[in-house]
Amino acid sequence: MPRKKNDKALEGEVKANMLPVMNIMFLLIPALLMAMEFASMAAINVSPPKFTDTPSNTPPPEKPPKQLDLKVVIHDDGFELSAKGEEIAKADAWIALANPRGERLDYDRYDYRALEARAKLYKQAFPEEIAVKVSAEGDVPMQALISTMEALAGSTCKIGPTIHKGEVPPDDCLFWQPVVEGQGA
Amino acid sequence: MTATTVTPEQAAFLAKKKAKKLSRRNREEADGELGMTSLMDIVSIIVVYLLKSYASDPVVINPTAGQQIPMSSADASLQDGLPVFVSPRGLTFQDRKVATLTEDGKVDPGLVEAHLIGPLFDAFAEEVDRAQAMAARRGTEWKGQVILVGDQRIPFDTIVDVMYTAGRAGITSYSFCVIRNS
Repeated sequence: MPRKKNDKALEGEVKANMLPVMNIMFLLIPALLMAMEFASMAAINVSPPKFTDTPSNTPPPEKPPKQLDLKVVIHDDGFELSAKGEEIAKADAWIALANPRGERLDYDRYDYRALEARAKLYKQAFPEEIAVKVSAEGDVPMQALISTMEALAGSTCKIGPTIHKGEVPPDDCLFWQPVVEGQGA
Repeated sequence: MTATTVTPEQAAFLAKKKAKKLSRRNREEADGELGMTSLMDIVSIIVVYLLKSYASDPVVINPTAGQQIPMSSADASLQDGLPVFVSPRGLTFQDRKVATLTEDGKVDPGLVEAHLIGPLFDAFAEEVDRAQAMAARRGTEWKGQVILVGDQRIPFDTIVDVMYTAGRAGITSYSFCVIRNS
């Protein structure tokens, strides 16, 4: 039977009870604030210092016939490069500071561009090589160490999506597996 | 001094005002209702925003006060591990300050012996034992990883000492926590 139009007017206005929803929402806010990521974090995986007596979990890659075995030492006044697989000319073995007047905590005083350019050359000669030993003088700040690793890996290297899947890293990734060595190791 | 005279218009206005006041006072209070819709809108927007910035990493890193985490363009995500915080104020592990640093950022010489930081080693060893026992109960293999949440200013010597101590405690994987450059 069709309903009369007037019946509609008799029906009261139905209002949803929003209070329980609001309660949940207000509980969600502090819970989410606690788990909020204020800055996007990332990780640089490093191999342990050479003098650590516990072996690393990562199996060593199969040795190619000739290895570069590149080592970069961060000094207070520049980078020192050495390699067992290739003789580095004395002039090329040293990369001076980009800003010699910079203080210890001026992290940009190192010439990371020159280091990256040099790393590209070595990568072309030894495309299979991924590891690099990084060492530093005792007073070198952590940011300089991180920036050096970044330059050696390649500033455009985006390894994140591939590294945990065991896939081949992109071509612009140079020496992306740093091995931190203590001085005198 | 002159007495104030009230004109008939003014008297009528005042009488009307008084009557209005009386009627307002006698009126029954209406049921006040809070407008929930606009509040719901605001709260929903906040919840969506917070959900978007929800940290999906397995470890939530809350830097200690005054800590300046290094910046990098590295994009590898953080893996599950034991975070150790190294700030110019000291070394913090499991919410406990285990060692203090000197003004130049090096570990208090009285706590270090041949790169081994005594209190940090004890804290690591305790945690490693606990994690290994838990993994054995579950029948899984335990892979110890330490996440070094450092500071831009701390010297290389301190980093090496922390890594060496972790290695001696049986931790075999290391990663440096950095803030991703946008």
